[in-house]
Amino acid sequence: MADGPKPSSSVKLVLLGEAAVGKSSLVLRFVNDDFQENREPTIGAAFLTQKCNLPNRTIKFEIWDTAGQERFASLAPMYYRNAQSALVVYDLTKSSSLAKAKHWVAELQRQASPGIVIALVGNKLDLTSQSTGLEGSMGGLSLSAAANSGGDGDDEEEEDARQVTTAEAKAYADEEGLLFYETSAKTGHNVSEVFTAIANAIPESTLKTRGGPGSGRTGAGAGSASETFGGAGGVNLSAAGETKGDACAC
Amino acid sequence: MLSLSSLLSKASSLIDPNLLNQVHGTSSDGQTPTVLFRSNFRLPDSENPLAVIPCELSLPTGEHYFGRLHLSESFLCFSSSAPSSSSGTSSTASATAGPPSCGFSLPLVAIRRVERLHSRSYLFALAVTTWHNDQKLTLQFNSLRSTCEKFCEALKKNLRSQMSEMKNLRMLVGSCYSEWLVNSGKTKDGLKEEPDAGLGMVWRYPGDAKKLRDRSKMRLWAEYLRENGRNITLIRQPTFHKLIRVGLPNRLRGEIWELTSGSLYRRLFNPTLYTDTLTEFSGRHSLSIDEIEKDLNRSLPEYPGFQSEEGIGRLRRVLSAYSWKNPDVGYCQAMNIVVAALLIYMSETQAFFLLSTLCDRLVPGYYSQTMYGTLLDQRVFESLVEKTMPLLWEHLVKSDVQLSVVSLPWFLSLFINSMPLVFAFRVLDVFFLEGPKVLFQVGLAILRINGEELLDVTDDGAFISILKNYFLRLDESAHPRSENEKLRAVTRFQELMVVAFREFSGITEQTILDQRLKHKDSVLSSIESFAKRTTLRNLGPESKRLSTSDLGYIYDRFYKVLYERQERLAAIEAEKERLSDKKVMSSGRSISEKSVSEKGRIGLGPSSQLMDYDYFREFLAGVAKWAIADSPSQVFTPPLSASLEPQWGGNGRKKSMFNPWGDNAEPADHEFMQRLFRRWDTDYRSGLSLQDVVAGLAGIKGKKDIMESISYFFELYDDDGDGRVDREGILRISEALLFITRRGWETPPGIGNAEQSKSPDGKNVTDPFLGSVSGFIRRCFEYADPDQEGKPEVSTGVEGMDELVDLLDLASDDEESVKSPVKEKGTTKELPIGEPKDKEKEGLKVDTENTKPSAMSANIALDPANPLHITLPTFRMIVLADEVLEHFFESGFAESIVLSTEGSKLPLRTASISASTFTNLGGNGIAGAKGLRGVLDNIVNDGMRVAQEVRRRMDEAQKELERNAVPGKYKDDEEEEGDAKSILEGDRDLLKGAEAAVVDDAAKLVVKPVPAATKESEDGVVGSSGDLLTVNTSGTPMRKMSEDLQTPLSALSPRVEFDSGAKSPRTF
Repeated sequence: MADGPKPSSSVKLVLLGEAAVGKSSLVLRFVNDDFQENREPTIGAAFLTQKCNLPNRTIKFEIWDTAGQERFASLAPMYYRNAQSALVVYDLTKSSSLAKAKHWVAELQRQASPGIVIALVGNKLDLTSQSTGLEGSMGGLSLSAAANSGGDGDDEEEEDARQVTTAEAKAYADEEGLLFYETSAKTGHNVSEVFTAIANAIPESTLKTRGGPGSGRTGAGAGSASETFGGAGGVNLSAAGETKGDACAC
Repeated sequence: MLSLSSLLSKASSLIDPNLLNQVHGTSSDGQTPTVLFRSNFRLPDSENPLAVIPCELSLPTGEHYFGRLHLSESFLCFSSSAPSSSSGTSSTASATAGPPSCGFSLPLVAIRRVERLHSRSYLFALAVTTWHNDQKLTLQFNSLRSTCEKFCEALKKNLRSQMSEMKNLRMLVGSCYSEWLVNSGKTKDGLKEEPDAGLGMVWRYPGDAKKLRDRSKMRLWAEYLRENGRNITLIRQPTFHKLIRVGLPNRLRGEIWELTSGSLYRRLFNPTLYTDTLTEFSGRHSLSIDEIEKDLNRSLPEYPGFQSEEGIGRLRRVLSAYSWKNPDVGYCQAMNIVVAALLIYMSETQAFFLLSTLCDRLVPGYYSQTMYGTLLDQRVFESLVEKTMPLLWEHLVKSDVQLSVVSLPWFLSLFINSMPLVFAFRVLDVFFLEGPKVLFQVGLAILRINGEELLDVTDDGAFISILKNYFLRLDESAHPRSENEKLRAVTRFQELMVVAFREFSGITEQTILDQRLKHKDSVLSSIESFAKRTTLRNLGPESKRLSTSDLGYIYDRFYKVLYERQERLAAIEAEKERLSDKKVMSSGRSISEKSVSEKGRIGLGPSSQLMDYDYFREFLAGVAKWAIADSPSQVFTPPLSASLEPQWGGNGRKKSMFNPWGDNAEPADHEFMQRLFRRWDTDYRSGLSLQDVVAGLAGIKGKKDIMESISYFFELYDDDGDGRVDREGILRISEALLFITRRGWETPPGIGNAEQSKSPDGKNVTDPFLGSVSGFIRRCFEYADPDQEGKPEVSTGVEGMDELVDLLDLASDDEESVKSPVKEKGTTKELPIGEPKDKEKEGLKVDTENTKPSAMSANIALDPANPLHITLPTFRMIVLADEVLEHFFESGFAESIVLSTEGSKLPLRTASISASTFTNLGGNGIAGAKGLRGVLDNIVNDGMRVAQEVRRRMDEAQKELERNAVPGKYKDDEEEEGDAKSILEGDRDLLKGAEAAVVDDAAKLVVKPVPAATKESEDGVVGSSGDLLTVNTSGTPMRKMSEDLQTPLSALSPRVEFDSGAKSPRTF
């Protein structure tokens, strides 16, 4: 792959959302293409990086995965400071988590850097009965694509664990101008799509270009940065995510 | 007793001079001598320094130490003053160089014998035999003989009182591993079972025991414990510190942690607390329990013990028990990791007490609701980095790397999930011995050692990965290429410890305390502004009906009332305790010191988030002048104040300390307020959360139209929710209306200039209102439905409206102005200035002309034998039939609650003027209300007399008010009090005369602010307030006064702010 010539820039991304909605699992899926049932709760925040190859450039995500417990909320400003993008995650089998997500969106819109790209993500799609049917409508890459895909298919609510309808969350996301996805960290459904969409939505002007891939890093994992759009959606493993699933910040 | 107290004062002055210096530096932080005493000797919070004496300690092993001997209620403590010296009392800074080289905290119950030694002539010496028989300490006092004797006296007394704890001591000692270790050689002791030393006994302890040289350590410890006492009687000598520094042996680790942290003593005095708590709360649920449950499977999951039901069960029980015992903290993520780590080395009970020692003393506020301790220590850490490694700090700032994102998890989980476990436990060994400064020292050392590399990084990511790599290689050699074999053998971890404790030995407990104090305020304020911001945004849909600035005001007010009152009550409680029990004077002092200084900030984590009814009253009194009591009651003047007076110097400031309302105006207590409280208490918790209060206020102030407002009021009185209000309810409604308006109900003065001018003196407005209320009662009974019919006559609002007009036509010949509000509803009404007079006349007409028909219908309706009720439509009609009432519901009621920031000052001022003027009206509490009720009940046979009677009372009140306003006139007017009718006439005459003047004045004052006023007020406000103004009986002096009052007030109160808040697009 033509890694060399492609401009590479890093983007700070922060994950916010209620406890146990699967923030860390989303990151783990994105970074390591892995899933663990019992992950240690995030203390403070975990930091991981992952690259995302777009046709014309490479985005290196610097991911801040924050603790979800309510009382950690007051630490959040420390982590979303200077973030260019945010993933606000809720559990679509738990309606209270959407309310919490809305709080985070409001907080970000007022307190974070202006122009921050926010994606609203409903996780745990695997627990609902429509786990795969939404590929077409939800896989849109850009804001407009996502916005155009209608909320069809959500009226047929079956007896499943879902508590937040696609239509409801979608309407909210549209109203606030957010990217919107429903994902499953467990199956990997839509996970890389979310990150790719964010990468695409970051305005070119706000990107600070760095020397090249892996520069400034002593870590070894970046090694062959040539892997491209594979099953995990064009991601490369990098040093931070490499050692065993332990995602503590240090 | 006297001698004791003098001893006491002496004692406090004799405490280690270092401590005293600390006290001066940090007195405002609650670091009193008492607190320092406890933390130095790791004593429970119940202990207080009672006596201290310089002395020389001689140990059975032959060592001698000079130092001070302290006595508290249940402990005898010693700390040597110079590190392992025998050179006397040089008070070099032992406190700054870590713990004293020798010392003990001996529970009195563990002392078997104290003997006076007959030693050389003047010397005064004691021989102390401890629980572990083989140990005899000699204490030789270096002080005046009388002082020595006093000390011994106190010691004797306390020893005796501690006898009862003996049983606890046996239990505790039996559970200590050290006992088993020391006695295992001599099997005759009968200890069969090895005491629980944590999950590690079953699932192995982390690390390679051989490599850790666990066996040799164990042997060294066994020797030390044999010579120096164990568990409860242990004496700390320099070897003790060394033994800890090289790492504790696995099976003793838990116990030594307990001992060095002091949690052992908590366990001693509460032997069954843990199991009792578990029993008491078994099967109960809470948010914390849910949160704990979520994390049980993810706490040190790599340790095999926590993949088992047993390990998880222990973790669950310890975390739950603590969350029940300290609901303010509850459960915080990271506690699971810390407790899991503790459980590898100790039993559940031990872990439970160690956890509470951690939360209370070692890492205060780390796991609280706001985690202020965590944030504070991060700030402290940053400032220490800046101070000790300026180059690195500068680099971090330049490259915009935020240090705390890296270091926060270190502190929060005590390095347990940052370093490999074996090393984290080594840090904990020292941490429990030396306190929180260890976390800082180790943190700084980590940065120092990696400094070179860190200077090259430019972003968070690289920063983190360097440190992460460093932690993974802690077991490698620090100098792999060194020629020197010894140097090569030094691991990176050893290097870290050396750097931490040698290079950063300047970081002392005191440094940390000072730094915490320095940054506390700014950290708390930033937490608070964050909390406020998020809370306000998340108050739910109801809150959107109020402006942002109103919400901000409610928020501030809510917590101000909550915390101030809590503080006040706590202070009163402490003072009462102290006075009632003079014996514990000293402890009383420390209690009040603590509670007063440590509560009262949102940032510290709320202790209670609910307002009970009394808090609610205080809250209302701050926002609505009708909620202020007319005459401050004497009930709360403390019976103790007399005895206190001399002590306090008898000034008012201290008195207010005893008033449960503090310096605020005492709130009224009216049935209406109780109803409001119940209505707002949507969850039936007998307490209002901020959300309840906001929703409640939004219900009143955020009403969009008069209909909603009327329904709201009606529902307050519709107790069973069947859409009917019975006779009782009708009377109560009228009482409430009079209660709310007894100080006037026009927009309170000082709020906006327009309103001010229209109603320079709000109080006079009550007069026509009274007429309206009496009319209201009459009409209610007139149009009420008898209960037998079972269904309301009028079912829909629209029909009701038509009917209303019809009914009114029947009832009144002169319906012109009565009808107008109905017909013109929704359009702006600007009544000509002259009309009020007509209105007044009309009111009288109604009074006189309608007497008969209404009285007739009332007679039937009011017969108690015929239960009756009104429905909402009826209520609506009746309200709308009266312009004054209509206006009240349209805006007056909502405006009677003032939320703007400066408004808070208003009620207080108003109170000072009008308090006690209306005592006879029925505003003040039950007594007054009963008076009015009595009147109402007696006149059921004659509807007309209601109005007259009430009016007479109002006039009296009015007059009294005027008298008060012009103090000089007070007595002159007294003779007029006689006949109600004549006063009424007189008033009307006055009214004619005053009218022009009032209008003139009003015009003058109105000029400027009118546009604002018209914008602000709803339709009809202008009209009716003009109307109301003219009724102003004799306002000149009053008005003057209120003008005087208002000028500074309005200058103070930027109405603008409130307006802009209200008008700007809602930003939710």
